Amino acid sequence: MKSFQYANALSTGSARDLVGKDGAYLAGGNDLLAMMKEYLVTPPILVNIKSLPGMDKIDSSGGAWTIGSLVTVAQLEDSPVVKQTFPGLQQAAAEVGSRQIRNVATVGGNLAQHSRCWYFRHRDVPCLKKGGDICYARRGENKYHSLFTGNSCISPVVSNLAVALAALNATVVIQRGGQTVKMSIPDFYAPAWSNPQSHNALEGTDLISHVEIPAESRRSAYIQMSEKSVFDWALVSCAASAKVDGGRLSQARIFLGAVSPVPYEAKAANDSLEGKTLDEAAANQAADLLLAKAHPHEHNGYKIPIARTLIRRTLMQLNA
Amino acid sequence: MPSWPEERKYIGSHATRIDAPAKVSGAAKYPSDVQPQNWLYGMILRSKWAKAKVTKINLDPALKVPGIKAAVLAPAVSERGNDVTLRYYGEEIAGVAGTSKQACLDALRAIEVEANELPYVVREDDAKADDAARVWDEAPNLSRANVRQQGDDLDKAFGECAAVVEGFFTTPVQIHHPLETHGNTVSVTDDGVTCWASTQGITSVQQDLATGLKVPQNQVRVITEFMGGGFGAKFGPGVEGVIAGLLSKQARAPVKLMLTRFDQALAVGNRPSSFQKMKLGATSDGKLHAFSMDNYGTAGIGAGASSAGGGGGAGLRAPYIYHIPNFRVSQQTVAVNAGSSRSFRAPGCPPASFGMEGIMDELAVKMGIDPLEFRINNDPFEIRQKEYKFGAEKFGWKEKYKKPGSSPGPIKTGVGLACASWGGGGQGTQAEAEIHSDGSIEIRCGTQDLGTGTKTLIALIASDLLGLTPDQITVRVGDTQYPPSGGSGGSTTAASVSPAIYDTCTKALAELQQQSGVADARGANWKDACKKLGPNPLVVHGRWQQGLSSSNTGGVQFAEVEVDTDTGFVKVKKVVVVQDGGLIVSKLTCESQLNGGVIMGIGYALYEERYMDKTSGVLLNPNFETYKLTGLADVPEIEVYFLDMPERGVIGIGEPATIPTAAAIGNAVANALGVRVYSIPITPQRVLAALGKDKASA
Repeated sequence: MKSFQYANALSTGSARDLVGKDGAYLAGGNDLLAMMKEYLVTPPILVNIKSLPGMDKIDSSGGAWTIGSLVTVAQLEDSPVVKQTFPGLQQAAAEVGSRQIRNVATVGGNLAQHSRCWYFRHRDVPCLKKGGDICYARRGENKYHSLFTGNSCISPVVSNLAVALAALNATVVIQRGGQTVKMSIPDFYAPAWSNPQSHNALEGTDLISHVEIPAESRRSAYIQMSEKSVFDWALVSCAASAKVDGGRLSQARIFLGAVSPVPYEAKAANDSLEGKTLDEAAANQAADLLLAKAHPHEHNGYKIPIARTLIRRTLMQLNA
Repeated sequence: MPSWPEERKYIGSHATRIDAPAKVSGAAKYPSDVQPQNWLYGMILRSKWAKAKVTKINLDPALKVPGIKAAVLAPAVSERGNDVTLRYYGEEIAGVAGTSKQACLDALRAIEVEANELPYVVREDDAKADDAARVWDEAPNLSRANVRQQGDDLDKAFGECAAVVEGFFTTPVQIHHPLETHGNTVSVTDDGVTCWASTQGITSVQQDLATGLKVPQNQVRVITEFMGGGFGAKFGPGVEGVIAGLLSKQARAPVKLMLTRFDQALAVGNRPSSFQKMKLGATSDGKLHAFSMDNYGTAGIGAGASSAGGGGGAGLRAPYIYHIPNFRVSQQTVAVNAGSSRSFRAPGCPPASFGMEGIMDELAVKMGIDPLEFRINNDPFEIRQKEYKFGAEKFGWKEKYKKPGSSPGPIKTGVGLACASWGGGGQGTQAEAEIHSDGSIEIRCGTQDLGTGTKTLIALIASDLLGLTPDQITVRVGDTQYPPSGGSGGSTTAASVSPAIYDTCTKALAELQQQSGVADARGANWKDACKKLGPNPLVVHGRWQQGLSSSNTGGVQFAEVEVDTDTGFVKVKKVVVVQDGGLIVSKLTCESQLNGGVIMGIGYALYEERYMDKTSGVLLNPNFETYKLTGLADVPEIEVYFLDMPERGVIGIGEPATIPTAAAIGNAVANALGVRVYSIPITPQRVLAALGKDKASA
């Protein structure tokens, strides 16, 4: 990799000053270091933010749940209280990479990670997402790619936590130039929907400080399907949450991962479940509505039946 | 005629590997680990073009990078002077050596290469077209067909069949990914060359390195005390070994050049793909009667041609193990701009097995015959006949085999079987024993232990023949200063080495008894006999003898799978292996070979596939993120059984271990679904497509 300077941040302010225009924050480093080794990014300085105090806590003392961006994915996976309160989030965490990766991967890093498209990640392919002229996947090998997108790039978002947190109606809290900015998960990824070079809404010296999850009584679930049993990216993932009262659903939220540059939802699908008792027919109807605008490419049409199955299975878990 | 002892304490036992503590503790030094004084890192600059005519290469900027001590052109590039055409993404251009890996990375980026990109083709179907870009200007991509046939009138023979089935089976290019990548540490001095090689053949490395570096062979010493897996692609020093030597010569320091995983995916070999259009028919008595196959596959830029069962070409064994009175087999190799094939664990067999055993099951189902009975009715090999029956019993075939697609619910179970055939014989090994007056003994043999357990096998044989225990035997292998043995390939090592150790130990014992006057120097008398030797050790030479080993092994594997028909996910639940290995010498390591063969076969069946991009010409998955290998969680329960046939002598089993696994899994998936997935790897995408659920490609 290209040589770089290294600094430890002591506060979010000093982190921002140190990182400057072209630097990068370093937390778990799973994504960043891999991209640096391939010379896909060449930051002149890495600012270690693991030294920032107080950002590695899971806390519910202030009403809403806050999950610090330095909380590791393994912490989420292992936390009994997360498992009990947000089972969908715990399940999503448990499916991230391998245990070794989860031990160092952070919530902030998982949300901010970049595309895994094999053209984007290839050192010698000047793809659209890297500023090139064409999306090679559109005319090439696209079995792992998107069914929905608003731009020419068809690489999907792969963050498990994004899908689970979106279903839980979570908010990403960002430190932006001394200000605190809050945005929903869909808003956090929205730029990737329309801009091929974008991965998320982070810009300049933005730093995710934590995630907030509303303290509501919701059931949640997450299921993913990969080619291998474990330690593999999702072909499709699905997260759902809803309030369940007397067997009837309200405020249901269903999101799909790995099929779109954003965690994908459809209002009509969510609305279709309002006030309903969950059965196969209701689940299938929601799946139809959520997948109605799917646009498969040459090699990824199989994701549609997988998505349909996962939507049904995830929703049925809310009944449990 | 020599014969193995009737009473065997260690031979055939479950004794642990003699080098297990060294391996577990990290004391074992692999070629990746050795660090001779003042050693330098070496790395290779590779083509980023699928095909290009080079117009300029300037190494000088690399030599200006701090820490860089040498920069050389790849031999093929320097030989061609101003007429260099690069023919695939990843082809070697130059090498650098320096004091750190980062210095080398910086130097690779500093080298100036200019080239004019030329038209290329990276996929088999595209390369076959008449107007395809040519990989080699002098010949079309598609080779002439290699045709073999038997019987006078194939059409008539098909007409005589009670049932005929057809199928188009495809298998992918499988990349060589041993745990230890290819590479060497090479030290070139005025006194000669020392090479610590991760190799299957120390003598072939010696020969090729001498040629590449233009030094006499007797000045090249190759050492392979340990190595991390070969599987057919590690017989020579490789381009990377010669580059390391040239760099060492220039830098006047040892150079360690182990390939990165990225490099490994591109340039050091793979199993060719296959596209098998097949037709098979049987007469009403259930006997195979007529067969035809048109196959093509790619060996990359390698010409390949047909090399049934032998080298690394795209030809397959067909009609595999079956004797069919009427057949026509036509095979072609198609060149593409991608790294060349090399022999890969049982060359030509796993793809042949996947196709042939698949169409066998198709025909059995069509005729309403149990696939097991169908094989018993058609397999000419007596040993496999025993294995079908024995294995079926252990697996519970009768209870488990159901009509295809008949298991209820969305998650369906299925079973399948397939068989293996291989040589496994060997010869030519020499060895020597050195016995000292304190009773210590060392056995030296210029073979190499690929991790298969060759050292352990030597210790177990010597123990039984000398009445000692394995911990009393010092075994030395992997050095060209020891008596030669030859390359470890073709599953020949056990059958080649074992008789030489028998001969060496038998002669050493006889000599010891004669010199010491002790009538039986074995066991309890060993130390007393040795004491009489005096200060000069007894050194005795032995060589391979006829009668202690044989060839022609058979195996059968049964697989049970679970397939989720809503997601296409395949889970292998159980594999039962029955293998003939003649006299099993080291049972533990032999079982490991079978387990490893099955695990590798699962990767071939479900996960592994090289992806080439037609637009950019690059290999898209040069890493384990997207070139997927079997993980621990994907490994099923594996039961291994050997037919105990010591009278056959020692036979190698490393390759047959992996031949039938993918075919058995493919048949089990077809049995579960009621429809066949004709292509491996059997991914969720392909399962859903076979079920007609893949909207885009159905």
